[in-house]
Amino acid sequence: MNLLRWLVFAIAAFAMNFPVLSTLVTSFKSEAEIASNPSLWIHSPTLANYLDVFRISDRFDILHYLWNSFASSILGAGLSLLLAFPAAYGLVRFGTGRKWLLPLVANLRAIPLIVFAIPLYLVYARVGLLDTRLGLALILCIVNLPLVLVLLVAALRDLPVELDEAARVDGASTFTLLWRIILPLAAPALATTMVLGFVYAWNEFLFALMLTTRNAVTTTVGASFFFAASGGGVRWGIAAAVMVLSVLPPMVLGLLLYRRIGRSLAAGAVKG
Amino acid sequence: MQSRHLRDGRILLAPLTIFLLAMLGLPLVVDLIYSVSRVEFRTILSPEFVGLANYRSALTSESYWQAAWFSLRFGLACAVAQLLLGLFLAIFLAPLIDRRPWLLAFLMLPMMVAPALVGLMYRLILHEFVGVVPWFMFTYFGDSPSFLGPDNAFRTLVVVEVLQWTPFALLILYSAYAAIPKDVREAASIDGAGPWQRLWRIDLPLMAPVLGATFFIRFIDSFRVFDNVYTLTGAGAGGATTTMSIWVYEAFFKSGDIGRAVAASMLLLIAAWVVLSIVHRLSERRA
Repeated sequence: MNLLRWLVFAIAAFAMNFPVLSTLVTSFKSEAEIASNPSLWIHSPTLANYLDVFRISDRFDILHYLWNSFASSILGAGLSLLLAFPAAYGLVRFGTGRKWLLPLVANLRAIPLIVFAIPLYLVYARVGLLDTRLGLALILCIVNLPLVLVLLVAALRDLPVELDEAARVDGASTFTLLWRIILPLAAPALATTMVLGFVYAWNEFLFALMLTTRNAVTTTVGASFFFAASGGGVRWGIAAAVMVLSVLPPMVLGLLLYRRIGRSLAAGAVKG
Repeated sequence: MQSRHLRDGRILLAPLTIFLLAMLGLPLVVDLIYSVSRVEFRTILSPEFVGLANYRSALTSESYWQAAWFSLRFGLACAVAQLLLGLFLAIFLAPLIDRRPWLLAFLMLPMMVAPALVGLMYRLILHEFVGVVPWFMFTYFGDSPSFLGPDNAFRTLVVVEVLQWTPFALLILYSAYAAIPKDVREAASIDGAGPWQRLWRIDLPLMAPVLGATFFIRFIDSFRVFDNVYTLTGAGAGGATTTMSIWVYEAFFKSGDIGRAVAASMLLLIAAWVVLSIVHRLSERRA
């Protein structure tokens, strides 16, 4: 029975990770081998594709795309924490907006993002935020807010209210209390939420596709350019290397922090 | 004290509220205005009121209904498959995962990958000359179906989506399953319940709210899908794989028909709102 369980685990893990696995294998094959041997076996492994990725940077600047992804994801995730942390505290301790703000933000998750994409495109075009990392980050913040707010509300709810009361007796104002007492206590939850927000932002595609064209193109969109531009003659080896580099940061975070991320995702889903 | 609380609460919520008004409220107003206007990129600041013409134009378009039907079928098929597969894996693998939690890391990994990149990866994997799957089919079965052709595209996309997001269902259902108190299950065993009876009489009823929530989340996410479908098939396969989100995107960027695209997205918003309030009702009744 246990053997059967291991077998099911192996098949499931293989099938679900198959795209990444297969792309990883392809990225270590030469162009000639890719054409002659599509199997998962590599006859003569090579790093040529990874070197070539950086050599074609005049047409396809992967470092620029990775930097855009990194900067806008950090900014987007950080901003969502900055906005949601005080709000979550207000929601939990004072009950302000519990009736309207929390449901509103939590339900955002269920709304097709395209609804906001077109007007934001038009607004951005007028205020000059189109194709900027800042403009993209503002939207990534919106994308992250439902999960971030729900997770922070859940985390702050678990903190004992006696701490607040003790600090109050000592005459601390709400903001001193939030900064000096709650923030350090909530730090682990904030860190996990930041990582999740970063991963979500890094993986976002629709808004990056619509709102960036050159300067702020992220790696998800950059990789899709690569397929479109090459028309019939896609250079599969380089394409595979580009995709491996693009999925590496969130995957490493996921492997390192799977326990915290798993717990947060499960909690966020059920409470949201 | 009470008024200070009220004031502090408002100050704490103010930044988020202002941000939401600017980033969501304003776009919604723009949506509303343009959905009842004739407007093009050139005349963006002088929309001309046309009443409900845009809504009528979207609702009478055959491709709009085709996209709606596609998204609905896609959402349902993916949600059902993910829920069943996730439930099976969560319960069947629970004894392994209980002892070795790191196994979850490998099962969670697909969720860390951008769906857009997954779509691109399958472009490589399913490519008839360099893809590993067609190669496998040709080598061992002598023939390979055209996975992204009009006949198979729907099934292929469902498989792609299910393989990536079953981990989500698995994760949530595993935590719900692990949270069932051991003594409840033991008590049932002592009373002579077999494994199947325990599953049907104890585990599944206790997990019912989580099962419902998981189904809803997976349905919504698959229904509004854009990334992986767009990068894998585009609106290819003769438009057979155009989802609602892709339809709105194309109406805007390809056709430049702003009014119609915005009207269609308003309809999408209304649909989402209707579904949400139904789900809300259902969960209230249960609580």
